[in-house]
Amino acid sequence: MRVRVELHPALKQWIEERFARYPSERSLVVPALLEAQKYYSYVSPEVEIGLAELLGMPPQEVHSVASFYSMLHQHPVGRHIIQVCHNVSCYLRGAEDVIAHLEEVLGIKVGETTEDGRFTLVTVECLAACGQAPVMMVDEKLVEQVTPERAEAALAEFD
Amino acid sequence: MLQETKVVTELAGTEGLRRLEVYEAHGGYGALRKALTGMKPQEVIDEVKRSGLRGKGGAGFPAGLKWSFVPRDHPGPKYLAANADEGEPGTFKDRWIVEENPHLLIEGSIIASYAAGIDHAYVYTRGEFFTARRVLLGAIKEAYARGYLGENILGSGYALEMTVHSGAGSYECGEETALLTSLEGGRGHPKLKPPFPATHGAWGRPTVINNVETLATVPSIINRGADWYRSFGTEKSPGVKMVSISGHVEKPGNYEIPLGTPVRMILDDLGGGVWKGRELKAFAPGGSSTPLLLPGNLDTPYDYESIAEAGSMLGSGGIIVFDETTDMVRVAEILTRFYAWESCGKCTPCREGTRWMLQIYERILNGGGRMEDLDLLLDICEGIDSKSFCPFGDAALGIVRSTIQHFRAEYENYIRKHKVYKRKFMPVRHH
Ligand SMILES: Cc1cc2nc3c(=O)[nH]c(=O)nc-3n(C[C@H](O)[C@H](O)[C@H](O)COP(=O)(O)O)c2cc1C
Repeated sequence: MRVRVELHPALKQWIEERFARYPSERSLVVPALLEAQKYYSYVSPEVEIGLAELLGMPPQEVHSVASFYSMLHQHPVGRHIIQVCHNVSCYLRGAEDVIAHLEEVLGIKVGETTEDGRFTLVTVECLAACGQAPVMMVDEKLVEQVTPERAEAALAEFD
Repeated sequence: MLQETKVVTELAGTEGLRRLEVYEAHGGYGALRKALTGMKPQEVIDEVKRSGLRGKGGAGFPAGLKWSFVPRDHPGPKYLAANADEGEPGTFKDRWIVEENPHLLIEGSIIASYAAGIDHAYVYTRGEFFTARRVLLGAIKEAYARGYLGENILGSGYALEMTVHSGAGSYECGEETALLTSLEGGRGHPKLKPPFPATHGAWGRPTVINNVETLATVPSIINRGADWYRSFGTEKSPGVKMVSISGHVEKPGNYEIPLGTPVRMILDDLGGGVWKGRELKAFAPGGSSTPLLLPGNLDTPYDYESIAEAGSMLGSGGIIVFDETTDMVRVAEILTRFYAWESCGKCTPCREGTRWMLQIYERILNGGGRMEDLDLLLDICEGIDSKSFCPFGDAALGIVRSTIQHFRAEYENYIRKHKVYKRKFMPVRHH
């Protein structure tokens, strides 16, 4: 049986407005998946089915693409994603202490979500901001030259 | 005292530079006007060829030559992919260019597109670059409104569309053929060359792929000429290069220098020297994928040929500095984890080899390493080397081989004493 899923109208519009920019509709799958996460907490099978229909590709292929990219979540995540760089230039300037401190104050390990669903803490590869290392991102916001204290303080504006 | 030579970074710091009228007030889009109203496409290619401009994304391929490979009277659309995926650890110039001076990238991309007969330019931005994407979208909108994009640009009859595309977290998508697969809507897997993108690129059409810094250099070459650009740098590595200095230096950041400048001057005069008054242990000259060099290499001129002669690569221009206190085994583990986790999985030697190396690093850092592990690591490197579709696997080898070559004693110290690296957190792969 074929399941039909109605995507959020704003997401649908965002995608359809961009069709004319590409020779094939499926070219939009990666940006569309990223955009979808603004409306859904993660890329669920339902989201994949909805996108598949809109982009004219099998749901299995949408899933195959979605599972490749590290920013596309395969499981529910918190309202805000904290990504701390764990790569070399940030490591050299104290990223480990930042990550350890965030684990402590949030009471979770890397890869986990706080019980209240507010934050998911993950590490991330080089964010191309090594001149300001160590760095982290909270949702779309880059936070530079973080110390354990500054990292903790940066969370205040996300509720 | 070394001073910067500012070409791409010339207007950096100018108030309001992201806005079209500010960019124009500083001569912006003058090169576009000059090219589209006074030069034939072939003349643009010839000028860029004569300038000796080499790709700044890692491989150093001559830009003008690349454009000349695009078949001129091929029917149907042709594409440009501006590579703004910048994921090479230790490299942070392209994001900076886009956020600081987006119109410079747009202007360079239009000129390159005009030269190669391109119909549609895509800027492939890394998923994580939310701010850069927002800035670029705003600038492109302004450029359309002013008639620099769209139909009949500046009355020349030339038309170009420009679209911002986004990835969603993948280092491999910076590799040019994987970038195209991703742009087409797939997992970021590379394609075998030949055929080359110049004839069979995005959607099977002729496609030029250039790095952001490469494209951002083009307007000044058109404005001031090939001879002016050649007046900097060396015979074989003409011109300038942005370097991103990170790690254990006093003043990390982006700087622009003439190619051929000794590394010592770059690190001391611009980077402020090794931090905290410490000694240098090693440095990666061109990003995480380039074999480490030692203090004895500090007088090497920073150009493609000299860095290669010293045993490494100029790569993307990301210089990562390690002071005397650095645990080089841990550094090698961090980068091996990066390559193992980011390997796209298409080719067996790269996928399996990088994971196997990571397992060995984990046991060494957990105090369970064996002396044979060092030869085993080198063996695995041999098994990965040049055996995959794209250079990703090879990129993973520089740090392993060069740390074993130069810092073998540090490995042996871990293994002999069953030393354990005290982890402050456990890395996990999140999806
Ligand atoms: C694993 C891998 C990652 C790469 N990442 C990037 C990147 O993020 N940005 C970039 O410009 N080039 C990157 N490159 C190099 C590109 O394949 C290509 O050479 C370059 O974009 C061409 O532009 P250029 O000639 O102007 O340098 C990467 C190469 C490999 C093998």
